[in-house]
Amino acid sequence: MTDPFDALRTTARAVDPDPDFAATLREQLQRAVLNGGEMPTTEAPARAAVGALTPYLAVTDARRAIDFYVEVFGATRRDDPIVMDDGRVGHAEVAIGDSVLMLAEPFPEIGNVVAPEGGAVMRVAVSDVDAAMAKGVELGAELVRPAEDGGYGKHGMIKDPYGQRWLVAQAEPSEAGETPVPHGEAGYFTFQVPEAEPAKAFYGAVLGWRFKPGFVEGGWGIEGHGLEGGLWGGPGRQVGFKVMFAVDDLESALARVTEQGGQAGEVEDMPYGLSADCTDNQGIEFWLWQQPAE
Amino acid sequence: MQRDPAFALLGLYESALPEVYGYLLSRCGNTTLAEELTSETFLGAVRACRKTGSPPVSVPWLIGVARHKLVDHWRRREREERNLRLVKQDEPEAVDPWEDEIDAIQARDTLARLGPHHRAALTLRYLDGLAVRDVAHLLDRTVHATEALLVRAKAAFRREHDQKEGSE
Repeated sequence: MTDPFDALRTTARAVDPDPDFAATLREQLQRAVLNGGEMPTTEAPARAAVGALTPYLAVTDARRAIDFYVEVFGATRRDDPIVMDDGRVGHAEVAIGDSVLMLAEPFPEIGNVVAPEGGAVMRVAVSDVDAAMAKGVELGAELVRPAEDGGYGKHGMIKDPYGQRWLVAQAEPSEAGETPVPHGEAGYFTFQVPEAEPAKAFYGAVLGWRFKPGFVEGGWGIEGHGLEGGLWGGPGRQVGFKVMFAVDDLESALARVTEQGGQAGEVEDMPYGLSADCTDNQGIEFWLWQQPAE
Repeated sequence: MQRDPAFALLGLYESALPEVYGYLLSRCGNTTLAEELTSETFLGAVRACRKTGSPPVSVPWLIGVARHKLVDHWRRREREERNLRLVKQDEPEAVDPWEDEIDAIQARDTLARLGPHHRAALTLRYLDGLAVRDVAHLLDRTVHATEALLVRAKAAFRREHDQKEGSE
């Protein structure tokens, strides 16, 4: 019996990628090979997020400083800088690894000035301390202290041309991978609402949530911090937050659901693990989720 | 002293790059994503080729690494699109025999509109021509679950395909 889907068979044809891309990747590959192969944290970034502590620098020239951080620390730009009426940059952000760095040009009228000397030190982890420091000096930074390993990992210090001191340190190799959600904690939610648009307007205004289009009618991914979730507008569903809770063992958890007067749904094998749609003893819907064993 | 296999990777880079990029581009159909996954493939290969027991570095081995990166990508997408799971429950389990010939170009288009889990299963099984047990291995599912997924994926493909035809 022939399968009509066999017609889809596609032999991959070699395609030359963009030469700039090819050159950049070659350079990254060389660096990775020469560095002993561990992917450093700064080059395999988790999604950068505004953490509990975020440096907010006053720099003499924000545009040039950003170029410098991109070149030397592998920073990526986040949105466009906010330019004030007088041409000064009032706010700009870059991501370095998983961290966000905010900066602005001096505003003496509110006390934001570049420290004439000393001032705070930023510690930045890079994959190659020597290369980053050499690049920094090449781009006009002052070499404050050459890199050396005094027993706490290799590090050195430069002062960039825009007034900031940087403790440049060797990044620890990181094992990529997602941390599993502990048993009993929520791992995901779907916020089910009668209509998506009013909910987006409301929570966007009240909580600052941002939304990216989803892939189902009325579905929106919620971009923000904390629990991953989605908004789903439309009639016919229980209104409210439907949470997915992680469990160590789905079968036994489902048995407890039934025992306690809830309704346990069928186990489904999803790419992200096993899950089951359940209802508690008062009729509230939730999911149980067993993550795949690593 | 043993030679670092990662040097072989550097030596192979120029000739392997168009192959890996071409493979990924034909599967994901988007240059930005293909570039991203190509980077992940080569940089990930540095570590992978140093693992003991890793086969010698070659283009087919790199395509295998690329395939894993593609599956990881779809898995991430799947996590982001978990809302789909509700919709999927409405899917019929069975699929009628479908005698039509599939036009390869139009099929690519149809495939691009499917959810990541369906797209992953069909791409690995049919575009790459892998056996069901290899697809199951890559997707971390049992053979049985993979067979069921393929049936659902084909049904979804057919619905999407017919809908497009109907609208034209």
